[in-house]
Amino acid sequence: MGGFDFKVIVDNFSFLMSGLLTTFQLAIIAISGGLILGILLGMARLSSRPYVYYPATVFVNFLRSLPLILVIFWFYFLVPILAGRPLGDFLSASIAFIVFEATYFAEIIRAGIQSIPKGQMQAAYSTALNYRQMMGYVVVPQAMKNMIPSLLTQSVIIFQDTSLAYVIGLKEFLRSGSIVDSREVRSLEIYAFLGVVYFLICFTMSTLSKRWERKKGSLR
Amino acid sequence: MLAYEFRWSVLWELPYAVWMLEGIWTTIRLGLISWVFALLLGIIVGTCRVTPYRPLRLIATAYTEFFRDIPLLVQLFFWYFAAPRILPTSVELYLYREVPQAEFWITVIALSIYTSSRVAEQIRSGMQSISQDQFNAALSTGLTHFQMYRYVTIPLAIRIMIPPLTTEFLTIFKNTSLAMTVGVLETTFMSQQIEAYTFRGLEATTGACIVYLIITMMVVSGMGLLEKKLAVPGLIARGR
Amino acid sequence: MIEIVNVSKWFGKFQVLDKVNETIRRSQVVVICGPSGSGKSTLLKTLNGLEEFQEGDVIIDGISLKDPNTNLNKLRQKIGMVFQRFELYPHMTAVQNITLAPLKVKKMGKEEADQKAMALLERVGIADQANKYPGNLSGGQQQRVAIARALAMEPDIMLFDEPTSALDPEMIKEVLDVMINLAKSGMTMIVVTHEMGFAKEVADEIIFMDQGRIIERGTDKSFFENPKTDRARDFLNKILL
Repeated sequence: MGGFDFKVIVDNFSFLMSGLLTTFQLAIIAISGGLILGILLGMARLSSRPYVYYPATVFVNFLRSLPLILVIFWFYFLVPILAGRPLGDFLSASIAFIVFEATYFAEIIRAGIQSIPKGQMQAAYSTALNYRQMMGYVVVPQAMKNMIPSLLTQSVIIFQDTSLAYVIGLKEFLRSGSIVDSREVRSLEIYAFLGVVYFLICFTMSTLSKRWERKKGSLR
Repeated sequence: MLAYEFRWSVLWELPYAVWMLEGIWTTIRLGLISWVFALLLGIIVGTCRVTPYRPLRLIATAYTEFFRDIPLLVQLFFWYFAAPRILPTSVELYLYREVPQAEFWITVIALSIYTSSRVAEQIRSGMQSISQDQFNAALSTGLTHFQMYRYVTIPLAIRIMIPPLTTEFLTIFKNTSLAMTVGVLETTFMSQQIEAYTFRGLEATTGACIVYLIITMMVVSGMGLLEKKLAVPGLIARGR
Repeated sequence: MIEIVNVSKWFGKFQVLDKVNETIRRSQVVVICGPSGSGKSTLLKTLNGLEEFQEGDVIIDGISLKDPNTNLNKLRQKIGMVFQRFELYPHMTAVQNITLAPLKVKKMGKEEADQKAMALLERVGIADQANKYPGNLSGGQQQRVAIARALAMEPDIMLFDEPTSALDPEMIKEVLDVMINLAKSGMTMIVVTHEMGFAKEVADEIIFMDQGRIIERGTDKSFFENPKTDRARDFLNKILL
């Protein structure tokens, strides 16, 4: 069995850190792209126009029933076909993540807006505000306070999800750890290290978001 | 335009169709077995999260936080690659060589533990949503604590928790796909196996998508029926 | 100026309003009462388009609500509404609640809007709470702000949907006083309420509804002292202990 030997971590530290950097890059792209697309999808899910509502609903529900790994594979095959040539794994992973996570953001946004009581809407309409004014000045500002905790939680989940890009060989944090493992076979130290780093990052992010939530409190 | 020949028949040609069916069966087994363990563990940990007994509560909280803040894939790799190293070499070799489908059972362990931490959270929030007054009302009619839990708290909590637990059940099926990375022959693995043999990645992956879609629809309608049978009027708010 | 013509409404199979007919003249104060589920709130909300109806029509100052060309937003500038649960915007102060619509719909200048808001707050008696958030106001204060908010658009008609039902008893009077003053100033008001004291003081007409229909109408004296129908009599017995 041998003793713990963390030398393997120290020796390969910069390689592992470059993997972590890729993880952060992918996460940031997934979160920002997913949020933008998610807002559009969420609004579409609230629309009263059937030709907007039904396609959006089918799209969101379809993607949410699939495992992320499969979606990553699917875009990995699809993107080069559409582009006519291979475009690199970071790009197809980014697209897969943006599309996939957008559906989760969309549901958070839709639920947040629907949680505002109908009476607020009626009160705004009764003073002759139109739909856009009602949403912009009355509903969305209130919904934001409800949505932000869930949006932050989802961002932490996205950060963890980046590890799945492993399957297409993207050199993010997990993959770099696994490469070091296949070279040096100090699996215990390596995976323990990976676990601890992920834990510290995610635990910190979720603790910060809980603290923010407590500070801001709730309106009602 | 698109320099790609589609060949959808890979989905029903032999032997590929048989591979897919085997994969689907493995996915179902993996999902159900892991779910049973996850529920058991999750209920225990979740209940510990709400006991007034502080040490138990702290352990349960640490458990939940820990397993929720590390990606499932990392946990799986830990159980598959790293944990056996702690065992004496002879046990390790036995595990890898003699135990049939070691990777299947290791995945069950990883998936159960991960999911149990999420189930524990649902249990905790379900139990906390039952008001203190309910407890008071039950106790004031002379029921013992145990009777109160058995006849009032737990039945009520189960009905409240069915929607979020349904989501967890679906999630565990989706998470079985991670097992492909350690060589478990489940649906996603098989779809990529087909791709390796036929180079028809898009078709194979689409086929796997349809499988998961069908599984999801079946679980959702099954759970919907269960909810209707157990529904308490006014308790679970429904509506658009 | 308000004509309700044969209005019927269904929620799915359940009929909420059944061929309701009524005419309300300028400066009239009409009180609608009746048991819960009788459709009174729904009827009120059809008048400013918050509830749609399948049959009949509502005509306000010659403008028909059924007409697809009618600009609902423009119409709503003439009608103010006060809700049972106040529905103040919790993320805005009292003044901001009042000035939102004048600023955005009438495109009023900020100074003018603020001045008018302060004047309205004075009129309802809480000018000193101007910069407080609804969370820091009592129920009675919130409802008075809500009345000021509805008055800010200078409506011709004011609708009240059980304005005191959600208030603690000691706060009901302050809100009713504001409403009585409003009635005496000549505002056209339609009030759904159980507060018979208010009705006796300022109502020109009382309408009793049950199961979606107007069962009885009367001036206050005739209605309270001599209800013609059994259902009205039952109802009055129950609420006038």
